[in-house]
Amino acid sequence: MQTLREFTRKTKRGNILKIVREHYLRDDIGCGSDLCQYCFQNEVYQLTSEHDIKSSIFKFPHYIVLDTNVVLDQIDVLEENVLHNVIVLTTVLNEVKHKSSSIYKRLNEIIHDRTRNFYVFVNEHHKDTYADREPDESANDRNDRAIRLAAKWYDTHLHTSQASKTFQSSGRTATRVVLLTDDAGNRAKAEAEDILVASAADYVKSLEDFPLLVDKLSQKTFENEKQALPQYPPHLSMKELLEGLRYKKLLQGSFQASRENYLEGNVNVESYEKGILIQGRESLNRAVDGDIVAVELLPESEWSAPSEIVLEEKNVYADDVPSEERVEEEKEMLQQVQTAPAAERTPTGRIVGIVRRKWRQYCGILQPSLIEDTTRHIFVPADRKIPRIRIETRQAAKLQNQRIIVTIDSWPRNSRYPHGHFVRSLGPLGNMATENEVILLEHDVPHCKFSEEVLSFLPKMPWTITEEDYAKRVDLRDLYICSVDPPGCTDIDDALHCRELPNGNLEVGVHIADVSHFIRPGNALDKEAAARGTTVYLVGKRIDMVPELLSSNLCSLVGGVERFAFSCVWEVDNQANVLSKRFHKSVIKSKRAMTYEEAQALIDDSTETGEIAKSLRHLNRLAKILKKRRMDNGALVLASPEIRFQVDSETHEPLEVEAKQMRDTNSMVEEFMLLANITVAQHIAAEFTECAVLRRHPKPPPTNFDPLVKAARYQGFEVAINTGLELAHSLDKCVKADNPYFNTMIRILTTRCMMQAVYFISGSLQKEEFFHYGLAADIYTHFTSPIRRYSDIMVHRLLAASIGADSTYAQLLERKSNEELCNNLNYRHKMAQYAGRASVALNTHLFFRGKEEEEEGYVLFVRKNALQVLIPKYGLEGTLYLKGDKDGKDGLERTKSEVIFTFNEEDHTQRCGNVIFHSFDPVTVRLSLDSSNVQHEKLIFKLVKPYIKGFSVETAPEASTAATAQPPAKKSKKDKKKK
Amino acid sequence: MAYVALSEAEKTFILHGVEEDFRCDGRSRRDYRPMELETGLVSNASGSARLRLANTDILVGVKTEIDVPNPLTPQFGKLEFFVDCSANATPEFEGRGGSDLAQELILSLQNAYESPFAFDYRTLCLIPGQQCWKLYIDILILECGGNLYDAVSLAAKAALYNTKLPRVTATLLDAGVTDLIISDNPYDCTRIGIDAVPLLVTVCKIGDYCLVDPTAEEEVCSTVSMVVSVSMRDNEAYLSGTHMTGGGSMHRDTMLNSIQLGLSIGEQLNSLLVKMLKSEEGRVGPKRPKTVGFLK
Repeated sequence: MQTLREFTRKTKRGNILKIVREHYLRDDIGCGSDLCQYCFQNEVYQLTSEHDIKSSIFKFPHYIVLDTNVVLDQIDVLEENVLHNVIVLTTVLNEVKHKSSSIYKRLNEIIHDRTRNFYVFVNEHHKDTYADREPDESANDRNDRAIRLAAKWYDTHLHTSQASKTFQSSGRTATRVVLLTDDAGNRAKAEAEDILVASAADYVKSLEDFPLLVDKLSQKTFENEKQALPQYPPHLSMKELLEGLRYKKLLQGSFQASRENYLEGNVNVESYEKGILIQGRESLNRAVDGDIVAVELLPESEWSAPSEIVLEEKNVYADDVPSEERVEEEKEMLQQVQTAPAAERTPTGRIVGIVRRKWRQYCGILQPSLIEDTTRHIFVPADRKIPRIRIETRQAAKLQNQRIIVTIDSWPRNSRYPHGHFVRSLGPLGNMATENEVILLEHDVPHCKFSEEVLSFLPKMPWTITEEDYAKRVDLRDLYICSVDPPGCTDIDDALHCRELPNGNLEVGVHIADVSHFIRPGNALDKEAAARGTTVYLVGKRIDMVPELLSSNLCSLVGGVERFAFSCVWEVDNQANVLSKRFHKSVIKSKRAMTYEEAQALIDDSTETGEIAKSLRHLNRLAKILKKRRMDNGALVLASPEIRFQVDSETHEPLEVEAKQMRDTNSMVEEFMLLANITVAQHIAAEFTECAVLRRHPKPPPTNFDPLVKAARYQGFEVAINTGLELAHSLDKCVKADNPYFNTMIRILTTRCMMQAVYFISGSLQKEEFFHYGLAADIYTHFTSPIRRYSDIMVHRLLAASIGADSTYAQLLERKSNEELCNNLNYRHKMAQYAGRASVALNTHLFFRGKEEEEEGYVLFVRKNALQVLIPKYGLEGTLYLKGDKDGKDGLERTKSEVIFTFNEEDHTQRCGNVIFHSFDPVTVRLSLDSSNVQHEKLIFKLVKPYIKGFSVETAPEASTAATAQPPAKKSKKDKKKK
Repeated sequence: MAYVALSEAEKTFILHGVEEDFRCDGRSRRDYRPMELETGLVSNASGSARLRLANTDILVGVKTEIDVPNPLTPQFGKLEFFVDCSANATPEFEGRGGSDLAQELILSLQNAYESPFAFDYRTLCLIPGQQCWKLYIDILILECGGNLYDAVSLAAKAALYNTKLPRVTATLLDAGVTDLIISDNPYDCTRIGIDAVPLLVTVCKIGDYCLVDPTAEEEVCSTVSMVVSVSMRDNEAYLSGTHMTGGGSMHRDTMLNSIQLGLSIGEQLNSLLVKMLKSEEGRVGPKRPKTVGFLK
C-alpha cells in the first residue's frame, strides 16, 4: 500500500517548493510481543512476559506506550532500570529527535539495551496505525492522534491474541496496553477512546516496588507553592520576543552570570563591546548562566556600573522566606552601584524573556535541611554561576555527603529558585574519584572507556615494523635522536637531533610521533579521537584522546625502540638561519628519553663529550638565538602561576606542592617545536589555501587591557598596548626594585587580558587575520603533539598528503566539515584547560586539609569590600574580605568589628588607620581550610601582615615578639573562600 | 497542426454538412463535442487538470515559485505559459516539429491573459515591489483531435482553479528585508480567483458559415479561423484578445459575426466549466482524492 505525504518547504534561496513523498504502508510489521501469534516477527521478542511490574493503578501485566512529552520530560525516569516492556513509536522517536538531540541520543541508548525491553514500533508505516493528517489539524494533534491510534491498535491486537483457548486455560491475566502522557488534553481524548491512560507522575507513584523513582520525576510544580506570590516579573511570550527583537526594541545575547556576585550578570550582545550589565534579582529574571535571553535596555539615567562587591549567596532553606536582612543587603548593594560615578556606568538592562534555555545537568551537593524528614531540599551546584536548585527527594539522608547530579526542570515566577530533580549520585564527598568525576562532568569532558568498536581499529599486538614500512620511510635509526620531557611523561610525541654537516652548517631535526599512521581517517577510532579533541590532564590522572596502546606505547617515542615518526629537518647555519627544510616520514630509534633536568645536567657537565651531549649543546645554543629573535619581533613573555603536585600513588592525595620550574632545556624544546609548527604552517597554508588547519591568536581589543593599564598606572608605570612589540617592551620596564615579584604580577595581569587562541581553517579568513599575537608569528599551527591533540593529527594528514606520503580523502579537503571540527577542537581545548585548572584548585584544597600555613602573597586587586590576594607558591588566588559578614544564619556569630576600612576610588586603595593596601602590595596571609561544614569546605584567608589591630590574626607565638595582651582574634570571621 | 489527408469529395461532404447545419458527427454549428475533465491529479504540482475533448487530450500542471515583481508593475505577480507538443499526439511533433504550434498557442494564451481585467495579477503579489508568486502553467498536448485552442484554455482555467498556494505570511527582518514564513499546515492554502480568467473559442469559417469546436477534419476544410478570447466580468462577456489562424482572410461582417458567436459561446462554456469544477470539488472535498481516472 502506498500513500503520499505532501508538504511545502522553503529553500535556502527563498523559493517555496511543494514536496511530495511516497509513503509506503506495510502489513508485515511485527508487534514484538511474545504473546502474539499472528504477527510476522523478524527478531527476538522485545516485549516479554518476564518483567512484571506492580502498579497500584493497573493491577495486571501491561505494556507501556509513551507519549513524546513523557520522553522529553522524564528521560531520567526512563533511564532507571525499572520500566520494561515499553513500546516506542516512531512518531514519538521522530518528535524527540526533532526537539532535543541529546534526549534522542539517550533514548536510543535505552532502546539498544536489550535487557530493557524497549521495542520500537514503526507505527508510521503500519497499515493499521498510519494517521493521515486531517484538514484543520495541527501537526501536534496529528501526532497525538497517531499515538492514540497505535495504543488502541496494540490493545485490541493483544486482546485477539489472548482470546485463544490455550491462553485462557493457562490462567494468566491478560496483558493490556497503557498510554502514559502528561498532556491533559490527550489524556481526555484517550479515555474517550477507551485507552488505558495515566500521567507519568501518577504511574511512577503507583509503582509499589520502586518508591525512590519518584525523586527522578521532573518537577514542573511543587504542590504547596501554587498560591505563593510571584517573585519575578513575567517573561514575554515567544511571539512578543521575536517581534521585539525584530524591531530592535529588545536585544538578544547569551547570559553570563557573574562568578563573584550572584545578583549580577552580563549579556553579550553583538553591538555592545562590553555586553549589557544586568543587576538585581528582578532584572536577572530567572536567567541561568548560558541561556540565550532577550534584554531590554534601561534608559541611560538608570545605567549603573559593575559593583566591586563580592557577594555570595548565603545558605537558604527550602521554606524559602527571604529574610529581611538579605533583602536589605541586596538593596544596599544596588544602592551602592547606583551612585557610581557617571564615567564608569555601562549600558544596563533587564531581562524580559528567555529565547532559549541552555540548561544541562549540574553537579553539586545537597544542602542540609533544618527540618528532618522533609522531602524538599536545596541543591547547591558546584559551579558558582548556577543558582541553587530546589528538588524533592526521599533519600536526603543518604545523599547528604555525596556529590550528586541534578537537572533543572522549570523556573516558575513564584519560586525564588528553579525546580529540578535528582538524576544520580557520583559518590562520596571528598573522594578523589568522585571529585575528578565532578570536574570532568562539569567541563563536558568525554571520559568513558573506549568502546569495543574503537579498540577494534588498534593495530594487532605484537606489532612489528615490516620491510614494506622501511621501504616507504627514511631510515633515521642511526641518528642520535633523543627526547626531552617532563618527568613521568609516558606519551612522548617529540624528539630532536642535531648534527654537524661537512660544510660547517648544522642539521636539526624535529621528529614527531606518526599518529596518523595508526589512526586512519573516518573509522571509529578516528571519530572518537576527533570528538575528544584533546587529552585532558588532571592532577594525577590523564584522560587520553587515543587508547593507551597508542598513546603510551606504539606512538610514544620511547628510548631505544624503533618508532615511526614524521620528521621535519632543517639545515641551519651557526646563526640559526634556516637554509633549507624538508619533511618526510621516517623510522627513528631514540637514543635516550630524558627529563628536562637530565638534559640540563648533560649540557652543563663539560666532561660529557658524547654525541647526545654535543647535539644538545648545539640545540641549546641555537634555541637561545631563536628565542632572542622572537623576542625582538615582539613575542610576549606571559606568566601564569603554574604549580605541580606530588601525588600519593595510592590515595591520590597531594603530598607536596611545587611551582613549575623553567630550565634552559624547557625553552630549548619549546623553541624548536615553535619553529617546527611555524615551518609546517607555512607549508600547508601554501599547499592548501582553502582547508589548512591553522591556529591564530587575535590581538585583544584595547578595552581588554583596561585593568592592566589602570593597575600599572597606580604604580606609576605606563603600559603601551598599541602593538605587541610595544607591549613587550613596556612590560620589560615594569620593574620595581623593592618588589621583585611585581614584574611577574604585571605579566599575570597581561595574560588575563589576552584573547583565546583558536584553530581555524585557512579558507575562512583573510591572510592578515592568521596572525598569532602572543608568538608574534604571521602564521602558526599545531604539529608537534599528535598524541594529545587532534588538530595535530589533521595537520599531519595535510602535510603527508602534500608530500605524497599518504593519500588524501574527500573530507580532509572539505572546508565546512573541517570548520565544524575546528569549532569542536576549540571548545574541547577550552574545557580541557578549565578542567585542568579546576583539578589544581581541588588539589590545593585537599592539600590544606588539616594544615594551616602562613604564606607570602600579593594584592592583585583592591575591591570595595575585599582584597584579591595571590599566593605565588600555590598559584592560588583568594579573597580577603574586609567587611564583616552580616548574615548570621550560616552558624557564624556576628562580628562587631570596630576596624573600619575606607575605600579610595581614585587610586583604588583600602585604608585602615595608617595601613594602606595598594594593588601589588606584599601581604602575609594565613591559609587554612574551614572544615566546620563538611559539605562545603572553604579555604580561608586571614591577614597576618601588615598587622591591623582587631583584624589580623596573631602571628604564631614563637614568632610574635610584641605579643600584646590582645585576645585572640575571633575565628573564622573575615573570611574566606578561594576563587 | 496535425495534418489529416482528405479527398475533395470528403471536403465537399463536410462543406455541405456545414451549410445544412448538420455536421458529420450530427452536431449543429454551435455545438461542442463531449468533454471529460479531471483536476488535481498530478500530486507534485500545485494545481493540475486534464481535459479530453473527443480525441484532443490536454494535461496542465501549475507550478509555483517566488519571484521579484517587474519594476513597472510592482503590484503584480507573474504568469508564464509553456506548451509542449508531445510526439505521442502525432508523429509530426517529433523533434522540433511541434514548436511552431506551441509558440502560437503560447502567444494566443499570453495575449488573452495579458489584460489585468482578464487575470487579476494582484492576487499573486506577496509584498509589492519585493516578492510575488510566479505561476508556471505547463501544458502538455497528449493527443491532437482538433480545436486545440479551446481545449488548452479550458484545461488551463481548470488547473488554475485547482491551484493551491501555500499560505505565506511575511515578517519584516532587518533593513526592510522581508522574510516569508509558510504555514505548516498543508491544508492552509489560498486559491486563485478564476472568475475573469479567459477562455479561447475558435470560430472556424467553412464555406460561408462559421462554426465552433472544429474537428481535425473540419479544420482542414477551413481557410481561416478566428480565436476569440472571452473574459467574464460582471456577468458579461468581454473580448480580451483575438487571433487569426489559417491562410485565408475575412470580410468585416464575417469577422463581427464570428466575434459575436465566439462571445456568446464563450459565455456558455464558462458557466458550464465553473459549474462542473464546483461540483467536482464538492464531491471530492479538501483532501486529495485517491488516485482515480487518468493517472491511476
